[in-house]
Amino acid sequence: MKEALEAALGVSITGATLLAGGASKEAWAVGTADGRELLVRRAAGGVIHEGTLSLEHEFEVLRAAHEAGVKAPEPIAYLGDVEGREAFVMERVHGETIGRRIVKAPPPSLALEMADELAKIHAIPRERLPFLRDADPFDEFYDELDSVEEPHPAIELGLRWARERIPLERPRVVGHGDFRLGNLVVDENGLVAVLDWEFARLSDPAEDVAWPLVRAWRFGRDDLCLGGVGKVEPYLARYGELTGCEIPVDELYAWEVLGNCKWAIGALRQGRRHLRGDDRSVEFAILGRLAAEMEYEILDLIRRAG
Amino acid sequence: MTARPNARELAASVREFLETEILPALEDQRMRFRTRVAMNALSIVERESPPPGPTDPGDIELARRIRAGDVRDGDLEALTAGVREKLLVASPGYLERYE
Repeated sequence: MKEALEAALGVSITGATLLAGGASKEAWAVGTADGRELLVRRAAGGVIHEGTLSLEHEFEVLRAAHEAGVKAPEPIAYLGDVEGREAFVMERVHGETIGRRIVKAPPPSLALEMADELAKIHAIPRERLPFLRDADPFDEFYDELDSVEEPHPAIELGLRWARERIPLERPRVVGHGDFRLGNLVVDENGLVAVLDWEFARLSDPAEDVAWPLVRAWRFGRDDLCLGGVGKVEPYLARYGELTGCEIPVDELYAWEVLGNCKWAIGALRQGRRHLRGDDRSVEFAILGRLAAEMEYEILDLIRRAG
Repeated sequence: MTARPNARELAASVREFLETEILPALEDQRMRFRTRVAMNALSIVERESPPPGPTDPGDIELARRIRAGDVRDGDLEALTAGVREKLLVASPGYLERYE
């Protein structure tokens, strides 16, 4: 990897450390002789959702976001094949990404900054990224649920309930696809960068706006519905002011139900990756059982809506 | 309600984790020995636990009915009770967050 990096960057590498062998990507911290701190993102194993972007396309999305002024790591170079797997290199940003730590003392500005970044992301011209999928989210979620090959009536109820309450009439915009605590770098002053663009696709803006509300991304601070860091109303109002896109609270709630369906299906698919032998891992195995948490949340949200 | 991976499959996943990730990282002979013993214990759990059973036909029918748009009074309550049963095994602490 050292040689490929040095050739791409035109500078010698002083060290490379594997930071995380994540579910689908590796992250390497790389130092250069001219003192830069870089991060190499390289393909690892399988994918959680259908249609996950290739690293080449993810790099293009990152570039478009960075150019649009989104707080995102500066993209440096797409490396192509590095020892059998594709990779790109970007600026290494510093701060906290662990949700459980962030919710203990979130910077006061974070909630509104999340709305600011989403507004900028959703303003990226879609022509800039012609490869992004443009599909009905319900079709995709039903396909993914069917791929699990076992019945989950609680998720079926959530999908049905959400479908009846989501008009899907807004023009689709460039969506991040996984905008939530865990994919945000935060320091004491606020939001530093938005990471992990591999699930980007064209979507109703409400999908991204609702995703950080999903209970699993509140990291135990269940009372603060926006990712355990803030209330929903000011965030939603800020997003509306910046974009002119008014999302009714009732509709956002339906998207939150749908978000829980999405994560329940994602967890079941991780469990299946383990069982099928695609990627044997105790973490994936347990997710197959923890999908019941999201099922419970789906049913509770529906019950509370009356 | 179906629940996979079941106990046997989970025991296997932990045994494999010990074998492929923990054991190679251990140098202390006593720890290596005890890890092998733990793997043997998990092998017993695997052999003693039943393989996953067939999918509940009632769940298949219910999932099909709801997808077809036929949601009936009582479905929400029945599903909540069923998921609660699953969580009492898989994640009982999670239920406390709703009290």
